[in-house]
Amino acid sequence: MAAEIVALREQVRQLEASSRIDALTGYYNYRHLMEALAAEMERTRRSGVPTSVIMTDLDHFKQINDTYGHEIGNAALKQATRVWHAAIRQVDVACRYGGEEFVFILPGTRFGMATRAAERLRISLARTPLELDGSRLNLTASFGVAAYRRGEEMSVEGFIDRADRYVLQAKQAGRNQVAFDRSQLALQETAVSASEKALLTRITAAGDDEAPL
Amino acid sequence: MGTPPFTMCITSGKGGVGKTSLAVNLGAALTRTDRKVLIVDGDLGLANVDIFFGLSVDTNILDILANGSDPLACVSFPLDNLGVLPATSGVPEMVALGPGDQDKLGGYLQCLFDHFDLVLIDTAAGIGASVLWFNSFVGDNLVVLTPEPTAITDAYALVKVLSTEHRRHRFEIVVNQVADTEEGARVFHQFQMVAGSFLDVDLNHLGTVVSDPLVGKAVRRQKPFVLASHFGPAAQAVRRIAADLDPRVVTAAASV
Repeated sequence: MAAEIVALREQVRQLEASSRIDALTGYYNYRHLMEALAAEMERTRRSGVPTSVIMTDLDHFKQINDTYGHEIGNAALKQATRVWHAAIRQVDVACRYGGEEFVFILPGTRFGMATRAAERLRISLARTPLELDGSRLNLTASFGVAAYRRGEEMSVEGFIDRADRYVLQAKQAGRNQVAFDRSQLALQETAVSASEKALLTRITAAGDDEAPL
Repeated sequence: MGTPPFTMCITSGKGGVGKTSLAVNLGAALTRTDRKVLIVDGDLGLANVDIFFGLSVDTNILDILANGSDPLACVSFPLDNLGVLPATSGVPEMVALGPGDQDKLGGYLQCLFDHFDLVLIDTAAGIGASVLWFNSFVGDNLVVLTPEPTAITDAYALVKVLSTEHRRHRFEIVVNQVADTEEGARVFHQFQMVAGSFLDVDLNHLGTVVSDPLVGKAVRRQKPFVLASHFGPAAQAVRRIAADLDPRVVTAAASV
């Protein structure tokens, strides 16, 4: 009896896990994405450490499907997700958003770091063509990056939308690139705060007081 | 196999704090121990290392990319053991270079560097793409600041960007244009205190260079002041910095 319950529990656990995994790519699915992202945003609200997301969309995916068929299309998705998986950190959460769209959650990661991670993902895919019988299919993707910082009013959907806007921008700019809000990079992450400035400029003030006449 | 050279960026945040002058004179001072020194003009938009040496140049760093010129052929030698890789004045910034071109430039520079013991890169002012790129490219980072509040704040901003965004955590600091060494020590101390409480960095006070009228005179004569026959306090200070750096060059060369 006890053994049956244990077995049942294990089955439930496996079902629970599989209901969060995308069968084709092995990435987490939409459901897990939304829950995990909500949890990370909550962590940001508590800790003050930002959460970043990278959203990506495979370039010319419809064309690949139309030209080579869905089997090759699926192989392309598998190839891309495998390459990206090798290029992200263990703590990052890789999710299939739907179709040829993917979202990476980068927990506790500043925006600048995330933009460079996105660039690494872009390069790693662009350098790894899909080997077909006797030919190679070059794969690229367009990326958008966004960060959520403490004090911002934003929903999980709003956060993903923000990243998605930059995916669109990357597509419009010619694909195979990373787009993000550059002004945020300069302002939020690396700006010298008022208290830092006050302390720094005290040097000169103190120096003047002490300067011999 | 060549031994990897000692590579260092000389950078500042604010312009006009004596970056190029320090690069040129430090480079010249280091040739006195028979080091082969290369100075790279990393100010791709407003270059003037060549002017400090009175060089007239017709090739530059961007020719390497544009025409595939031999990097070594682009180097001028104003002194026996000192080469200068000039940049151009009045061309748009490196932002125009895509990641591919940047990789390519990096590859060419690396090959070129192997011909030297020590490479100093004089970057542009500001925290633009080329400044960050060069600073991430080298082994060591030297930040020049003066007691001016704006120079201090801009140097700090640069250190902050490099440490939070580019994983650079160790900086050599030179305090330039001070009245005396006490002022230099005071400025460094305060800078270190603020950096220590807000940033993950390790700062080393490499030296202080006091204001010296001979510096401006040397620029007008287009000759490094460390080599002038009339020797002032700035020349002494720069020679001391060179003497402190010199053993590290040996270490770099011996490490393979």
